[in-house]
Amino acid sequence: MHDAVFGRLWALGSATEEDWDALYAEQLPRVYNFFRYRVGDGAVAEDLASRTFEKAWRARHQYRRDLAGFGTWLFAIARNVAVDHFRQRRPHAPLEEAAGVPGGPTPEELAERRSDFERLARLLAELPDRERELVALKYGAGLTNRAIAKATGLSESNVGTVLHRTVGRLRAAWTEEG
Amino acid sequence: MDDRFLHEHRREPRPEFARSLRARLRASGPDAEERTGFRLHPALAGALAVAAIAVAFSFPAVRAGAQQVLDLFRVREFAVVQVDENRIEQLKSRHLDPEAFLGGPVETLEDPGPAKRFADFASAQQAAGFTVQRPTHLARTLSPDSVFVEGERRVRVTIDTRPMRELMDAMDVRDLSLPAGLDGRSIEARLPVVVVQTFRGEGKRRAALVQAESPEVSMPPGVDLPRLGEIGLRLLGVDRDEAHRLAGVIDWNTTMLVPVVASATRFQQVSVNGARGVLLETSSTATPDGSDRGPGQALLWTHGGRVFALLGNFRQTVDMVQMAESVN
Repeated sequence: MHDAVFGRLWALGSATEEDWDALYAEQLPRVYNFFRYRVGDGAVAEDLASRTFEKAWRARHQYRRDLAGFGTWLFAIARNVAVDHFRQRRPHAPLEEAAGVPGGPTPEELAERRSDFERLARLLAELPDRERELVALKYGAGLTNRAIAKATGLSESNVGTVLHRTVGRLRAAWTEEG
Repeated sequence: MDDRFLHEHRREPRPEFARSLRARLRASGPDAEERTGFRLHPALAGALAVAAIAVAFSFPAVRAGAQQVLDLFRVREFAVVQVDENRIEQLKSRHLDPEAFLGGPVETLEDPGPAKRFADFASAQQAAGFTVQRPTHLARTLSPDSVFVEGERRVRVTIDTRPMRELMDAMDVRDLSLPAGLDGRSIEARLPVVVVQTFRGEGKRRAALVQAESPEVSMPPGVDLPRLGEIGLRLLGVDRDEAHRLAGVIDWNTTMLVPVVASATRFQQVSVNGARGVLLETSSTATPDGSDRGPGQALLWTHGGRVFALLGNFRQTVDMVQMAESVN
């Protein structure tokens, strides 16, 4: 929408359907998985997802749809939360953070999944920070390359190139370990 | 590229975690009860933006009169003005709002607080304090969703022409001068209760009917309002001759300017039960999360002293006009 006035008129009507519950339900899994892929599974991912939504909640009146989509805005906050986390702690998540939190599957399934994700988390932890963030945005948050480019300021082709190279390396290590 | 091993490790958050976080968010902050599920400030911003345009560019024409009563602006007509997209961006970058444009601080005289959402029409009508009109004919697949009521807001701006002059310089409007005697004078805007009825249809089909008594903008008489209007038009990028012509024919007492970017929006005049309305159409509209909802339309009209806006992404504009005509 390029028309400022029409956009405002549209916002007048459509803003009222901006249902935070719906946005929350849609975005929480994305944000949560972004952090799982970024720092590992477990309580830390939940804590960082919580912090992201708390910040977004407090700043919700500052969100301007004419500048960014809600997801873009939310992930800008999530990325800052991740930066703060690494600044305050260590550059990579410790392996103990990769311990899973009980969910719905059977204990056997859970053990297998946890083991698989622990393996993946270990490989992700060895990536340089930028590559790990791109993988987290792509495969954790489920963003498109275009959305990642917008969020990170990289070009879309650059995002594609880095991800292609990184995934290739990860796959090789995954297969080798498996 | 085989990347399934990366995809397949996504997991849903634990339900108890999701529930407790949502509860915590709802319970936090002084305006938690506002969050019945929507964010109103953009709506208010929209209303204020329209009011700002009214304040800035639609000062009421002066009626000769011995009484020093306030002149009043009420919307009865809309006039679409095509403007250049770059000019809009320039103005946006300069934060076009009453405070920035008129120079003085905006003083809130009455703040109704956050709007409230109502699941049933009767409660909303009671909160609004007037008989809310609604459409008896809905476009295909649409059904009523919610009703929102935003209370009356009153603001006062004390004019300081310095920023206005700076803006004119920045926008290269140097051949017109501001009327004398504006500094220190007050403008009051009353933004009456706004009621928004929302409708949902299949997929991303949405519509909203906004209605309110006309905003009122009052200021002391004695100001050359067509001149201010002309300056406003020039600031919006209207060329010199056209701005001069329009300033002379627009009734500044009753006409709200609706600037639209020609490259992004088409417009036409339509009749809504005999009243003149303006139909705006744009090629793309955004959902709350920023994805494209497709073409959208806005129909503005007034009736019985009330201002209406029907917004939506209708399949056909005829559906929209039919729905608008059924509002009573």
